[in-house]
Amino acid sequence: MSKTLVVAWREFRHTAMTKAFLIGALVMPLLMMGLFIVVMPLMLEANTTPLTGTVAVIAADDVFLDLQDRLSSNENPNAELIESLPDIVKNDPLASAMLTNGSMNNTDIVLQKSMPNELESLKEDVRDGALSALIVVPESLLRITYQETNEHLEVLIPSSFSPNHTDLLSSAVARTVVDVRLRRLGHVPADMHAMVKRPRVNATRLTLDGGEKVDNEAARRIIPMVFMMLLWIATFTSGNYLLTTTIEEKGNKVMEVLLSAVSPLQLLGGKILGQAGVSLIMLLMYGGAAMAGLITFALMDLIPISSLVDLAGYFTMAYFMIASIMAAVGSAVTELRDAQSLIGPIMIILIIPLALWPILSEHPNGLVATITSFTPPLIPFVMILRITASTETVALWQIVTSMVVGFGAVLGMVWACARIFRIGVLMQGKPPSFLQLLRWIKQG
Amino acid sequence: MSSALEISGVSKSFGDTKAVVQLDLDVPTGSLCGFLGPNGAGKSTTIRMLMSIIHADEGTVQVLGTSALKAKDRIGYLPEERGIYRKMKVGGFVGYIGRLKGVKGNVLRKRIDDWLERVELPDIRNRRCEELSKGMQQKVQFLAAIIHEPELIILDEPFTGLDPVNARVIGEIINELHQQGRTILFSTHVLPQAERICDRIVMIDQGRKVLDGTIASIQSQFDPRVIRIEPVDINCDLSNISGASLIPNSESKEHLLMRLDDEIDATSVLAQIVQSTPVRGIEIVKPTLDEIFIEQVTRSRGHEAAIQVRKEMSHV
Repeated sequence: MSKTLVVAWREFRHTAMTKAFLIGALVMPLLMMGLFIVVMPLMLEANTTPLTGTVAVIAADDVFLDLQDRLSSNENPNAELIESLPDIVKNDPLASAMLTNGSMNNTDIVLQKSMPNELESLKEDVRDGALSALIVVPESLLRITYQETNEHLEVLIPSSFSPNHTDLLSSAVARTVVDVRLRRLGHVPADMHAMVKRPRVNATRLTLDGGEKVDNEAARRIIPMVFMMLLWIATFTSGNYLLTTTIEEKGNKVMEVLLSAVSPLQLLGGKILGQAGVSLIMLLMYGGAAMAGLITFALMDLIPISSLVDLAGYFTMAYFMIASIMAAVGSAVTELRDAQSLIGPIMIILIIPLALWPILSEHPNGLVATITSFTPPLIPFVMILRITASTETVALWQIVTSMVVGFGAVLGMVWACARIFRIGVLMQGKPPSFLQLLRWIKQG
Repeated sequence: MSSALEISGVSKSFGDTKAVVQLDLDVPTGSLCGFLGPNGAGKSTTIRMLMSIIHADEGTVQVLGTSALKAKDRIGYLPEERGIYRKMKVGGFVGYIGRLKGVKGNVLRKRIDDWLERVELPDIRNRRCEELSKGMQQKVQFLAAIIHEPELIILDEPFTGLDPVNARVIGEIINELHQQGRTILFSTHVLPQAERICDRIVMIDQGRKVLDGTIASIQSQFDPRVIRIEPVDINCDLSNISGASLIPNSESKEHLLMRLDDEIDATSVLAQIVQSTPVRGIEIVKPTLDEIFIEQVTRSRGHEAAIQVRKEMSHV
């Protein structure tokens, strides 16, 4: 066992404690997390720089007065955008904080009523910086009967004007035009906005045990995919490392030196264990980044603890399946490009859960989901997707059966891999066919 | 004397190719045994079976009184195909192999430093293996094979690719290890090398053992067939000598070599030479391992095969 651990430590150390890994696998997720935690608030802070100066307005009196009121009020310029967003975003504290951040009280501007014949000189003033902006509202846009027009609201700004301030002015003047139209029709704009606002819908599932569960449609679709991708990234990245390090050891002829010190099984065990550590780090890093995102957006309640426990179990199963396949292929070939011909067909099988994601996510307890969740090597990927997608608990017998079949398959795959490995590691030259691999399993 | 290595009736085939055929081998503890034969004779396959890296189709293999699997930590092995982790530092690589062989901590660290000093590479511990010259890499690999101070050391072509200076350093260490009582099996296809440092040899050809014993005993088994002549005039004419022919391309300007024809009595040829030209000295020289091996091949596989083997060996 101690030799296996020595091999495992070297494998882990020379994969996970390298610059390439630190940059590729650790720094990137950390940067992503940093983006959420540090950069976003800073960006929000930057958003709050107040708009100052004088803005000239060429518009009818009622438009001018409405715009003046609006810009001096606390109205959110993103109100229209917020209304069009799904509930999951609107209800999120951070998202709504971001959207409401650029409120009108961040302005300290003076509106100056101007005439159409002053347009060119006002433009010059904007260019010179004497004016912060110029807003032109053509009368044709205020007609009280709908008529197609090619005219637009014009917001003329200096070249260095902030995009946020542009949005703020554009949004304010556009809303003003709508409200003025309503007022000219004799309506109270606030009442009309309230009238056309779509009511919020709560989908509640009535469960068989008599309970009620509020449905979260977006989470129900996204979270299973996230869980499955986590398994994929963590297991396939380290599986790929296992493949390349094995090929490297064959290529630089160090394999025979190693086999003079350890048995093929000890070597294989050490390599798989070492890369398991790498895989775990990947899972924790990417999972941690995802969790950080969820915590930031206060969405942690969407992931039950039991799903994390299931993730741990199916991660173990997935890792050993992928690792044994990769180690067997790595031992059988001498160059990475030769591995592609063997890995290709295996990848086609393993990509099935990804291809089936829409079906599995829509019918997590359907026939396709049930059959594939008992079919190695698809089990871990399908089961984690089912468990997180299903609105009803997946039957315990199905979870237990998938675990038994899955870990049974792991034992079988590790056994077959070990037999291929002990023959393959000393083979050089032309890569074997699948038929030869089967013969090696028989011989080994 | 007990045996460090014992092979009995071992055979190994790869497909239709018989690499080793019914091989028996007994290497006494403490000996420095040359394991000789031309390329493709089956030396590396036999060594891999000794190391339990591959398994014999039939026969038994005993290493240090047990199987090589159980005795791995007591064996040092330098394979024919040199292997090294190119990105690892020298100290890390030798240390890794040392730890796999059961040496740990400060003992390992001290041994690495001492041995690097001994092979005249004191400052390379923290250098990556890929930064070293081929000869330096080979010395590092040699260290990895002996860092755990094994009882049995198996070296497959240890001098291949080494310049004369480095070959001398490694040769001296092999001698030291032998004098410390370690058993050394030393495989090579360069027979004069083995002749210089081994106390006994095993010679195989086409997977079969053709010679086994101490160098002296083997030489005594073979009829000397070469006469060394030191004539007064190096340009003398010996073309009239019957029953022997001059060995061409003799590099020495002091002496000539003549090979006796088959079935010819040496004494009659010696008499002819002395009568033909004045000589400072004349002697029948002991056969070299090369000559013994060629003769052995001639006996078992015929004259044509022997010529072919001679050509292969002269291309080394």
